[in-house]
Amino acid sequence: MDDAHDPDEVLVSELREYFARVDPVPGPVTEAARAALGWRRLDAELAELLSDSAVDEESLAGVRGVSTPTRSISFGARELTIELEIHSDGARRTLLGLIAPPFVASIEIQTADGATEVARTESDELGRFRAALPSGQNIRLRLTAVDPESGPPVETSWITV
Amino acid sequence: MTLEALIRSALDGDEAAWNAIVDRFDGLVWATTRGYRLSSADAADATQTTWLRLVEHLDRIQDPERLGAWLATTARHECLRLIRIGGRELPSDEAGVFDVPVEDAPDRRLLARERDRALQRALAKIGERCQTLLRLLASVEPPSYEEIGAALGMPVGAIGPTRARCLEKLRRSPELVSLGTG
Repeated sequence: MDDAHDPDEVLVSELREYFARVDPVPGPVTEAARAALGWRRLDAELAELLSDSAVDEESLAGVRGVSTPTRSISFGARELTIELEIHSDGARRTLLGLIAPPFVASIEIQTADGATEVARTESDELGRFRAALPSGQNIRLRLTAVDPESGPPVETSWITV
Repeated sequence: MTLEALIRSALDGDEAAWNAIVDRFDGLVWATTRGYRLSSADAADATQTTWLRLVEHLDRIQDPERLGAWLATTARHECLRLIRIGGRELPSDEAGVFDVPVEDAPDRRLLARERDRALQRALAKIGERCQTLLRLLASVEPPSYEEIGAALGMPVGAIGPTRARCLEKLRRSPELVSLGTG
């Protein structure tokens, strides 16, 4: 049977028209996808997402609405790990971080929705830092060692907070 | 241009190459996130994270021809992550993806809209798995079974039979039967 008369194909093409009409990719979503290229790493080393308690407890994903108040995330680059704890108190998010091995770094919190909401903080000699976070956004951290001999800046993977 | 060439150009900052990649797959990524009953805002966040994740890994994509499956897998993980952290998903009585726009249509579109409503109601009753699968199958750029499997976390071998069963369920739903096959 050719496709034009196969009842399954007819129904699928009707659904295709329906979804294209009712639920097309929103313009701003495509715009954000296009703009993502502007966030490629130029000078920094990537600290990859190693674990995220929000995902590692994926087996619980079926249990809707269950969420722990503290989320733990870790990133790793070649010689560096960055541990984050995100504490939620209502809409307020507080970020506690730890760099290991420790060094004093200037830390930029970048949001993917334009450069408007960039927060800054600095880690202490023990590699600890703290910052208030915007919620409901994609963020990443960019760490620049205060001591220029300590190597290139490090950027973490993006996470949604 | 092949995907491999597009990726290489995008790595050099070529926006046209990057936009070509986005144009090819943004329907797939969007349809994947829409399958998870997230609010529109969360679906938009998950989509954005997925594309940012690709930019992040552009220099380490092993198999360019499987980029669609990579994106679908990433989008699925981002949706599950959002569901876990937020509890921000829609209450189950909100139709979300199956909503029909409420603005008035001109009369000549009445018939199509009546059919739209019937489709919306019929889709809402065939189960979440079927809704998600059909939403993906009916993307503007039809995805491969490998991509659908990646989006749903479903073995590729199960897609064909599930597709047939879901379409049959939809076809037999009273909402569509009462309208005829038009």
